[in-house]
Amino acid sequence: MALDAATFAYPGARTPALLDVSLAIEAGTVTGVTGAVGAGTSTLLLVAGGFAPRLTGGALSGRRDIATNRIGIVFATPWTQLTGLATTVRAEVAFGPASLGRPRGSVLAACGAALRDLGVEHLADRDPASLSGGELQRVVVASVLAMEPELLVLDDPAAELDPAGADALYALLPELARRGTAVLVATPDSERLARTAERVLVMEGGRVTRDGPPAAVLDDTDVARIARAAGCPAPYPLDVAALVARVVR
Amino acid sequence: MIGYVPGASALHRAHPYTPLAIATGLLLMAFAVSAPGAVWVVVAAAALFAASAGVLGTVLRPAAILALPTWVLLTILHGLLGGAPHVMLGPVAFSVPGGERALVFGGRLAAILLAFLTALATVSPARLVEAMTARGVPFGRVYLLVSTLTVVPRLRARVRQIVDAQQCRGLRLGGSPLARLRALGPLVVPLVLSALAEVDEQALALDVRGGTARGRRTALEPPEDSRADRAVRLAVLVAVVAAYAWKFLGAGG
Repeated sequence: MALDAATFAYPGARTPALLDVSLAIEAGTVTGVTGAVGAGTSTLLLVAGGFAPRLTGGALSGRRDIATNRIGIVFATPWTQLTGLATTVRAEVAFGPASLGRPRGSVLAACGAALRDLGVEHLADRDPASLSGGELQRVVVASVLAMEPELLVLDDPAAELDPAGADALYALLPELARRGTAVLVATPDSERLARTAERVLVMEGGRVTRDGPPAAVLDDTDVARIARAAGCPAPYPLDVAALVARVVR
Repeated sequence: MIGYVPGASALHRAHPYTPLAIATGLLLMAFAVSAPGAVWVVVAAAALFAASAGVLGTVLRPAAILALPTWVLLTILHGLLGGAPHVMLGPVAFSVPGGERALVFGGRLAAILLAFLTALATVSPARLVEAMTARGVPFGRVYLLVSTLTVVPRLRARVRQIVDAQQCRGLRLGGSPLARLRALGPLVVPLVLSALAEVDEQALALDVRGGTARGRRTALEPPEDSRADRAVRLAVLVAVVAAYAWKFLGAGG
């Protein structure tokens, strides 16, 4: 997936949510995106995944090349990502591959593998409506993985997960990259991003302001300098609130 | 309660098209007959349909709540404005043909409500999806139908969450009618706004999960369409055709 000088504005918006962004995402890599609320990280995911402006409306200028149509997206809120048509987790996860008309055996195999990857096999016969937010989010990720996407975009996918669940999810991303998936993940969690991504983009006001390996990008900020001076270990948080939370913790 | 009620009755186990066909048949029968007695026989058949699935108690209350205001309105309008002959009910002259018309229209409404609430209570949305998928119905139509059938339970769950959240923030639901009316705003506004906000993400999620893919979906566990199911649906069709044939030959009800 490649963007060249991409600028995107939502319908009716006076200012673009994404400004002059150029980047390339290769297969088999994990790329992280981070920034404050309103920085444009979610919009970048929608544009990179080909969902904006196709489904959101709005106007995109610049160039975008997406070399695959097998694209998966995961949002932070799992309850909006359910089909609403399945009464078991297995049926929910199988929905995607079944929609593609794959043979029944192949659908069930993909479903089983995705449930195993996310550690939710034991929930297969449960009603999705009866799951906790964290369980549901893992089911949603499994549902997207069951479609074997070549480009996977995740928007703060661990927002509903407990620390152990978040660690397990982030540990899965490099494994997916090893299988050939291009992973693009947006999160304010710079610690997990530094452990997971080989490249991090920092966004401010719709622009990519820093781009590079996590150590270089996350260490080269005012907050990082303050954190370093205060004796905090790397990786450093991106904003003061996160730094305070780290110090308090 | 409006929506699917899990159960083990023959209707619950039947192919999902069968309860829907019976409900549609009852609707058509209610309009095929025009005498008050005949219409209320159809109402009795709809009640029997519900009782056979063990959901009569469940569907009776919402059916009555939905039908009652219309019944009252029909009775007043047709009773007071209908033609002669009249009977005196105290100081009020009540039209006999108007009352009969109110009985017919009210009976039709009751039959339709009982029949379709029973179908909703006995057809599992998941099995309906599988049945329609197995028949090659395009996903857009499947989604439209099933999301319509499940909209009430989903809205109820959301309303419950919003009521809980607003009560935690000090909203009082009791009191005078005016106070109750005022309390509607903080309930309805978040209900509508949250539904609108979620539509975008849900559309995206369905798109990503192949909801807009062309070609035939794979049915994973299509419900069995037994000989008995097909026989029941054929019987419904024959009964409806016979009723309309009788109606249009001028011998009906």
